Amino acid sequence: MIFLGELALWIALPIGIWGAAAGFIGGRMERGDFVRSAEHCVYAVFFLLVLTSAGIITAFVTDSFEYWYVANYSNRELSLFYKISGLWAGQRGSLVFWVLLLSFFSAAAVFTNREKNREFMPYVAGILLTISSFFLVVLLFAEVNPFERLPFAPADGRGLNPQLQNYWMSIHPPTLYLGFTAFTIPFAFAMSALLSGKLDTRWIVITRRWILLSWFFLANGIIFGMRWAYLELGWGGFWFWDPVENASVLPWLTATAFLHSIQIQENRGMLKVWNMGLVTLTFLLTIFATFLTRSGLIESVHTFAENTTIAFIFLAFMGVMTGACILLIAWRYPHLKSENQIQSFLSRESAFLFNNLILLGAAFTILWGTLFPLITEGLTGQAIAVGPPFFNRVNLPIGLALLALMGIGPVIAWRKASRRNLVKNFRMPVIVGAMVVGALFLRGVNHGMALLTFGLSAFVMTIIIVEFVKGTKARARIEGEGHLLAFYHLVSRNRRRWGGYIVHVGVVMIFTAFAGVAFNREIVQTIDPGETVTIESPFGHEYALTYQGLSSPRGENMVRQAVALMTVERDGRPVESLRAEKVLYVKWEESPISNVGVNSYLLEDLYLILDNVNDLGAAFENDAAAQRATFKVQVNVLVGWIWYGGFVLTLGGIIGLWPSRGSTPTVARSTTQTGGERPALAVRS
Amino acid sequence: MRDNGKFFAGLGGVALVVTYLIWTGISESMVYYLTPGELMARVEADSTFHEVGVKVSGRVERGSWNREKDELLHRFTVIDLLDESVRFAVEYRDILPDTFNDTENVDVVVEGRYREDGVFEATVVLAKCGSRYEATPEELLG
Repeated sequence: MIFLGELALWIALPIGIWGAAAGFIGGRMERGDFVRSAEHCVYAVFFLLVLTSAGIITAFVTDSFEYWYVANYSNRELSLFYKISGLWAGQRGSLVFWVLLLSFFSAAAVFTNREKNREFMPYVAGILLTISSFFLVVLLFAEVNPFERLPFAPADGRGLNPQLQNYWMSIHPPTLYLGFTAFTIPFAFAMSALLSGKLDTRWIVITRRWILLSWFFLANGIIFGMRWAYLELGWGGFWFWDPVENASVLPWLTATAFLHSIQIQENRGMLKVWNMGLVTLTFLLTIFATFLTRSGLIESVHTFAENTTIAFIFLAFMGVMTGACILLIAWRYPHLKSENQIQSFLSRESAFLFNNLILLGAAFTILWGTLFPLITEGLTGQAIAVGPPFFNRVNLPIGLALLALMGIGPVIAWRKASRRNLVKNFRMPVIVGAMVVGALFLRGVNHGMALLTFGLSAFVMTIIIVEFVKGTKARARIEGEGHLLAFYHLVSRNRRRWGGYIVHVGVVMIFTAFAGVAFNREIVQTIDPGETVTIESPFGHEYALTYQGLSSPRGENMVRQAVALMTVERDGRPVESLRAEKVLYVKWEESPISNVGVNSYLLEDLYLILDNVNDLGAAFENDAAAQRATFKVQVNVLVGWIWYGGFVLTLGGIIGLWPSRGSTPTVARSTTQTGGERPALAVRS
Repeated sequence: MRDNGKFFAGLGGVALVVTYLIWTGISESMVYYLTPGELMARVEADSTFHEVGVKVSGRVERGSWNREKDELLHRFTVIDLLDESVRFAVEYRDILPDTFNDTENVDVVVEGRYREDGVFEATVVLAKCGSRYEATPEELLG
């Protein structure tokens, strides 16, 4: 099985290259047989990569430590779950995993379009296989072959880094990768539209779901990463503006911009060049993110090995892709003329445009800050870094502007908003927002930025709620339905719109959570068993944590652990106890790993870190005398709203993605060639 | 593109604001990113460098890590990756990352201020066990 996997990897490359060539030739010369051959290659590459991945997983499960990759990321005692997730634990496997996902999505795209949109497919297949082939070349020739063998097999592997032995960490990278690779499909269709000259909105309509799917996975991947950071390495923080975190949020920002700007193109026939630019930029950023994670170019807690070969190959690939895309867009530029122009600043087009510009501005500042040490070193020979204060300072105003636009955009009129439209839609939300700010201020909240965030959040929430209420009422009246049924039909008849609003609710909740950080409290204390630490939350809850002592049970794949138990009283009433641990994992005996204890409430988390046991060695031996320990207790305000917001966002995303009954998305007009004619406006409710 | 004049005006406006934010953001939070050797040379040439925030990457000296009993204060020594004789003491008053230790070669990035008494007062410590992520075949066999 393992050998079969290795063989499949080698076979996949020539098939990928042939298929890519066949796709382009078939498209250019209009040869149906070549196109079919290219499409078969897409399926074949997917099948071969399934074999390759199965080979790697088999190697992990059967403890085949003669393979360098397995020996580095597994050990005999590692649980089956983490052996399987070994496929994406390190650089080599995760590159295979990346191509596996890409080839899966490619196959899905080719399969779902086997009988329609045929004119796009030759180039789509060609482009997708080109990208797959690139990754296969990297895998086979850049010294990262996962099947590389050691001269002889070690008795046991080195084990998986304990910080990666966490549920959230095992699903965070694959989710991000799903988002990265899914975005390749819209990119391929966009390039195919440029190559074939079919430049109406069709490529957008076909790939709408793909765009949303990619966005959905990216958003979830980022949130899972925050969750992992919060529980495993952040000491209560969830975002550190680490280069790799930044790299993952960049394509998300541009994909968000794209998700909005395509609506302008669909409805008003504008922004065609802009959208081509955005789809290209987002795709390049997904590659950049993969590259940054796996090359170690910029120092980061996430990056793995420093392999300069791979860095150069990636940079060359990105350079070539950028050049090719710019040339293609320039070539088709005359056919990408805007069909309308902006009539007023006070219009939905304008709100969406500003949303786009601001999202891109945010992406640019983050990219700039991330690459700043490299840029300054290149220019002056002296690296200068910017830290979290830079990113926070710059992105706070940007985030607030986005939040405001999130309220304005969906309800302001197209073309030109009348005074009446403005007053009608915004009077109440503005009043609610102002009231929230006033009420919070009177209760003693005096953090300006946080107040602004809460006020704007209330503004946006009011707008969304009013929209839902108005829509439901109107439907109930017109159709004579009960309100519940009317609400259900309202959402299900235009999932994209109402799903989008629900996503907005989730995002607002997450923004609110970010503002909560300003109110966090913490206390550090060294205590003996029986002693109590108290901390008061900004909401007035009083927590008393009483240290009950250390125990040292043995867990799976662990050498030793020291578990500190704290009984907790909240406002005088006993609640669930907290456990904070130091764990020595098998193969990682030098550095104990901390596991924190968390009690979550609606508005705040009580968060316990066992910082240090005065005599940890003795504690591991269950020595009753060695119990004195230092704890850090935190009250993290509103942090739970990130995860709740994540659920809401997921719900909205699923509503938007849910297949509509019996109908594919309608196209305004499907026969316009090279964008000469003006496509009819899509009907909007 | 006369028809999109307003769009470009908007683009210009946002670009200006973003540039302003980046500019002020950088001038307020930029730090030199140095090796211990470079830090020493800088401080020697210009003693006001003690006041400036810097970020230094080096390695934790084996066996140099001490923590104050009953207090959250860590002390350790950072050495230059290339020249082990270049070193300085670090003080850090928060919880260290789990990847930090002084029994193997741990690479660290410390951010803070190099005080005039020769102690680096760190506000951020990042630790990376480079060698522990991946091993060469020789290491695996040994």
